[in-house]
Amino acid sequence: MKLNIDKVTRWMLLLVAVAFSSVAMAQTIKGTVTDAESGEPLIGANILVVGTSTGTVTDFDGTYSLNAPADSKQLEISYTGYANQIIDINGRSMIDISMSAGKLLDEVVVVGYGSQKEKEITSAVTSVGADDFNRGPITDPAQLLQGKVAGLQVYNKGGNPNQASVIRLRGISTVGANTEPLVVVDGIIGASLENVDPNDIENITVLKDGSAAAIYGSRGSAGVILVTTRSGAKNKDRVLFTYNGQVGASSAFNSVPVMSAQEFLATGGTDLGSVTNWTDEVTQTGISNVHSLAAAGASGKTNYRVSGNYRNVDGILKNSGFEQFNTRLNLSTKAFNDRVSIDFNSSYTNRNSDYGFNEALRYAILYNPTAPIFGKDSQFPFASDSYGGYFETLGLFDSFNPVSIIEQNRNVGRRNEFTYGANVGYKLTDNFELTASVAQQNATLKNVAYYPTTSLFRGNATSPTRKGRADIYDESTSFKLFEGYGTYLNTFGNMDLRLTAGYSYQQNNFFSTNLVARDFPDNSYDYSNLLETSQDLLGANLIELRSDASPDERIIAFFGRANLTFGEGIFVNASVRREGSTKLGADNQWGVFPSISAGVDLNNYLSLNKVDLLKVRVGYGVTGALPGPNGLSQEIRSVVNGSDGSVSTQLQRAANRDLKWEEKAELNFGVEMKMGRFNATLDLYNRDISDFILERTVSADVFGVNRRFENAGKLNTQGAELTLGYEVLQSSKATWSTSLVMSTYKTVLDEYVNEAEMRAVLGAPGQNGTRIIRVAPGEEVGQIWGPVYAGVAENGSPLFADLNGDGVIVAAADKALEPDADFQVLGNGIPDLELGWSNQLTFGDWSVNAFFRGAFGHSLVNTFRAFYEPVVSTQSSYNYVNTELRVPGLTSAQYSSLYVEKADYFKLDNLTIARSFNFGNASAVRSMTLSLTGQNLFVLTNYTGTDPEPSLVDYGSVDNGAAVNFSNPDPLSPGIDRRYNYFASRTFTFGLNLNF
Amino acid sequence: MNKLFKYFMFAGLAFSISACTDLEEDLIGDITTDINVPGIEVTGGNPSGPLTAVYSQLRSSGTANHSGYYSVQEITSDEMCIAAKGGDWFDGGILIELHRHTYTPGHDFVKNTWNATYGAIANINSTLGGGTLNAEQTAQARAVRAYFYWRLLDSYGRVKIVTEAGSGPQASRAEVFAFVESELLAALGIPAVASGMDLSNSPLADGGSAYQMNRYGALGLLAKLYLNAEVYVGTPMYDKAEIASSYIIDSGVYQLCGSGCEVNNLGRRRAVPSDPEKLVGYAAVFAPNNQGNPEHIFSVEYDEATGPDMNFGQMNLHYASQFTWNFNEQPWNGYATLEDFYNSYEAGDARRANNFIVGPQLDFSGSAILDYASDDDDIQLSYTPKINEIAPNSLREAGARASKFSYKQFGRANMDNDFPLVRLGEVYLMRAEAKARLAGNWNAAAPDVNVLRARAGVAEYNGNLTEAEFLAERGREMFQETSRRTDLIRFGRYNDAWWEKPASQAFRNVFPIPQEQIDITGSGLTQNPGY
Repeated sequence: MKLNIDKVTRWMLLLVAVAFSSVAMAQTIKGTVTDAESGEPLIGANILVVGTSTGTVTDFDGTYSLNAPADSKQLEISYTGYANQIIDINGRSMIDISMSAGKLLDEVVVVGYGSQKEKEITSAVTSVGADDFNRGPITDPAQLLQGKVAGLQVYNKGGNPNQASVIRLRGISTVGANTEPLVVVDGIIGASLENVDPNDIENITVLKDGSAAAIYGSRGSAGVILVTTRSGAKNKDRVLFTYNGQVGASSAFNSVPVMSAQEFLATGGTDLGSVTNWTDEVTQTGISNVHSLAAAGASGKTNYRVSGNYRNVDGILKNSGFEQFNTRLNLSTKAFNDRVSIDFNSSYTNRNSDYGFNEALRYAILYNPTAPIFGKDSQFPFASDSYGGYFETLGLFDSFNPVSIIEQNRNVGRRNEFTYGANVGYKLTDNFELTASVAQQNATLKNVAYYPTTSLFRGNATSPTRKGRADIYDESTSFKLFEGYGTYLNTFGNMDLRLTAGYSYQQNNFFSTNLVARDFPDNSYDYSNLLETSQDLLGANLIELRSDASPDERIIAFFGRANLTFGEGIFVNASVRREGSTKLGADNQWGVFPSISAGVDLNNYLSLNKVDLLKVRVGYGVTGALPGPNGLSQEIRSVVNGSDGSVSTQLQRAANRDLKWEEKAELNFGVEMKMGRFNATLDLYNRDISDFILERTVSADVFGVNRRFENAGKLNTQGAELTLGYEVLQSSKATWSTSLVMSTYKTVLDEYVNEAEMRAVLGAPGQNGTRIIRVAPGEEVGQIWGPVYAGVAENGSPLFADLNGDGVIVAAADKALEPDADFQVLGNGIPDLELGWSNQLTFGDWSVNAFFRGAFGHSLVNTFRAFYEPVVSTQSSYNYVNTELRVPGLTSAQYSSLYVEKADYFKLDNLTIARSFNFGNASAVRSMTLSLTGQNLFVLTNYTGTDPEPSLVDYGSVDNGAAVNFSNPDPLSPGIDRRYNYFASRTFTFGLNLNF
Repeated sequence: MNKLFKYFMFAGLAFSISACTDLEEDLIGDITTDINVPGIEVTGGNPSGPLTAVYSQLRSSGTANHSGYYSVQEITSDEMCIAAKGGDWFDGGILIELHRHTYTPGHDFVKNTWNATYGAIANINSTLGGGTLNAEQTAQARAVRAYFYWRLLDSYGRVKIVTEAGSGPQASRAEVFAFVESELLAALGIPAVASGMDLSNSPLADGGSAYQMNRYGALGLLAKLYLNAEVYVGTPMYDKAEIASSYIIDSGVYQLCGSGCEVNNLGRRRAVPSDPEKLVGYAAVFAPNNQGNPEHIFSVEYDEATGPDMNFGQMNLHYASQFTWNFNEQPWNGYATLEDFYNSYEAGDARRANNFIVGPQLDFSGSAILDYASDDDDIQLSYTPKINEIAPNSLREAGARASKFSYKQFGRANMDNDFPLVRLGEVYLMRAEAKARLAGNWNAAAPDVNVLRARAGVAEYNGNLTEAEFLAERGREMFQETSRRTDLIRFGRYNDAWWEKPASQAFRNVFPIPQEQIDITGSGLTQNPGY
């Protein structure tokens, strides 16, 4: 890399020499170019001596210096988005120019280690400003972008306020490594999105393709999301305050249809003597409150913004929600004749979560509708006292009174997160700036659960011993970042050049402890606070105690980039990053990630009629992905005990000392066009991922275990993204602008570790041997695979179709991949087309925002139906799912096409009506906006489950009260609507925005 | 001032570059081969328990839990099945496949068995490769490894023989047989099993704890190997089986657990008068407190806290049977005994009383246990020997439930009972069979068999012992000890039709090699014929 820069530098020096020699030195003109409204300097404005080719651009402070020929008369100043100016020189040597913004066509976009003018960008980059964010109560910042960026998938199935959204950029970028995009907040790589309140975000930029993301190297494969928070005001006269408040109410949008008590009894269900609607018993109207107050101002050369944000959100599940307080300070200043600029920002978040128990929703579906809530109402003798007064259907597998679950147990957590970042820029010369950044982030999480001795669910109430259970989980993570880079900026003839080179050091540390103690004396206290009363302490070996600590997990990188602009219309960008990580095998720790991209604004050369912009760009970039866990290159062992009290270890995971980066090479072709009121962007891409990191089957006889992490396989994704925008109406009274965002992609597994493989177990009861997703080289990812339902046999079993017509029906789960198996693709978990359609209408002071979202072509395995729809006699004490797809007479739950449903949908995701009031700058309250937002107002779908949104990853099956492990998602098994998914909700929100 | 600042910047940069290109991964949250904690050995040679990691393999390799070795041995035989109860326990049909002998190279349990066995072998190889074992410890480890190779020989036939890091070619079944034989003979310090053999040169102990491989344990494994030699290599070796068995019996080191051999009944409910205070004889051999039973020659030590992975209570019992024993965790209602097998016992056979749970069930306080999802007319939980059907709607209470390894009050999911791999009762049966086959007359087996019949309280054989009767008797004695599949194959009955199972072809006598292991590039494995 160093060599490259040397070459470039030498070449540059040559150019400089040529440039200088060709200029006749006559008069020197200096000055500053500023924005007429804000007084802010304009960086990179073009200054041209009229009638010559002599010109320059302004530097970081908006200043310029020009050697104009002696006979020069006028200067022409141009800056994209501003009206051009021609100014007479009149013999002056000092000319300051203030420019008025025309229509801002060309905004500056943050691209990592600096920013670029939008028109100079040659990669697939989408920038979304605060005005275009999704509205209503947003619980995590990713939701601001849902449906707004072509190719960015943001899904939070059901919308559990305590669960973060799944974010995917251009589909699966990796199989076994980190699947979520890299988040950069105000330049801090890997900063936590959870520590940013949505109200503080000014802009989010998404680097979609490899050429843009390559500057972030080893973690850029899943895309990069750059978040810029709001900064201080430029106004020096007064401190500007903004208040945002929202009050919302959410209720369950729908639920899994089940039988009423009468229907259940008529179908042969066991009568327990009562009538209970369990779904009603465990859901509620969740009220949410959001208040934020921000103050922004400036003093001297310092400007600042301080904000406080409060969120209190209740889920639609009773006893679930969170309360969050967040504060942020952004400060920037200049010193030493403006040669030094300092930016400082910090934020702190405290979140108290009541996670509640999603399981209550599942058991509300399957619980006997004739069961009483309380034991005293049971028609059988029932020992209510042992179960806290609640009724329980004892002796059933996977059956717990849902009301007892949410009322008796406690499951809460507290997260504290503190982040600060400081950025110091120092201008060595007008053309050369050094930047150093340090950042730290510390987060602690403490989760506490207590299940009393009377809770059947996890509290072990049926056991005479070891009743009650307390879980304590503590986690602390810390992150340190140091980066230093230099930027060189100059103009040579009609070429603008910017060079950036730097160093990056990142270290992550993680430590956790987890304690599970059981057997508490009674429930006079919440024993999560009094662990010493656990009787487990008396009977040894009963306490579960685990801890985990990461090694110093480091990433070190050197990087460089060159941006070149030739004339008005040709742009070239190139970068390279050499990066190393501790997570890889000793010989393969370092990787090189290059990129190059170029774009041309054809309109500049073709001068097409009515066309304002016609940019064609092409980019190629290589990025990487790192494995999730540490220690994959080392052998891991576990403890075993001996009969004599001795302790030894045995192999748990085999080492892979050759483990290396997963690599993604991406080619992106884009066209951007603007024609008056119409604009369009089209991106086409091809990405090849190789060496993906995956736990794969290995020879058990060689390694002693049959699974090991290896670099294996190839994946190819091809996709297209189209964004269309149109100003339908532009009059002084009313405006209507609309934009449509569409994306599609297809991912094919080119190479895999097995010839074919079945993944994703359906689960208990009775379908543990049933895997439902097929993965094979040469085939698309996300295939739902199974036998085809063909009717009911006399004994109540399902019949399956003889697909290959050989007269033998082969439908057993372990034969799924046999050549004679009667299995086929039943659907695909990944949508063919996703779209978002935004509409903004204004009528005077009124505005309407309508956002529609849809996804088409994907299927979901409806697991509630697969388990509980057949009228299984042995399950006659579980309720039956009762959708329009139910087949009467089917008495055996066996997986087939019957339970795979098309889940196309189109929904009105968000409708906001707002009225704004302007009281003038002199008034105490300058302006006010009142708004009413509805979310999820209608959904058009044939899917019979609660939420047709795609399920992009799978967390596996859990049953009988076990907990879901969200830390290990499987991206190769999309399309399964699990029984632990939250119910979708509909929310109405009233909002108030005040500026004073 | 400007200059000063410049220096600071560069100094900072330079410092960070020189200090921070270090990418060594120092794991502190995991046990790696680098750790050095006193008392925890990592690669062999822990002074306090050098063979701890060797013997623990016997537990973790599917010996007494669901979905591995135990399952493929038991539910492919005519002892037990797992019937589909509506959707419950259907599991994509793979359990019925084991019962009907239609298992495939992709079968999960066949894979699990292979992987766990090679995992055990790798850990033993690692201990042997540590170079710190003495001669006796080395002999023990090699003999335990030979036992695992016997499992592979018996289940898959053609497998790779791996004795140190790395791999080897797939060996023929005869080569695997020869390897198991030579390893056991080496541990015994003899060139061959022959009458009048002298074991005094064996590095193995002459008796002692059943948790350690001793001379009698190794001999017992050899007897089992020779008894099945005709199946494995086509050559009968009943003479050697007889010599090895006789050596064990004649040594007098072990005794059958008979009338005076008893333990407290840890499963007793005080409110239920029919629960005995003591478990006597046969029942004591398998009880939760069967540690040190005089019949155990080589056993797997299970312990509810430190030695997990025996889960029979979970696997066999109905959900609501939790209340009979006050179990910590709810059982799964899976395995049940085939009706014909249950009926092969006479009513007075003490082994029937011990081995099965049938009839109405009472809880700890003597009250009837209710099944809220009962699918017969009676809401009280009552196990019936009859299983109405194997699929799709087997009744929840159908089938006698195995309780040979009996349950204790307040038991956990992990049980305490030791699981004998070699016990004197079986040695009697092996000698009996060897004698009969050598004599060509099944009545020659009667004297040894009658020892066991007498203990069970049933009439002795007297000139009426046939091959079929011997097999049935062996089944009654050895129920639930993962012996039945091997026995049925040796007697040529494994391919017979039985309840809900059509006749199967002879290639089913070995399991398929897991397809995913064959598919690995360079594995060199080929599939067993017929699959």
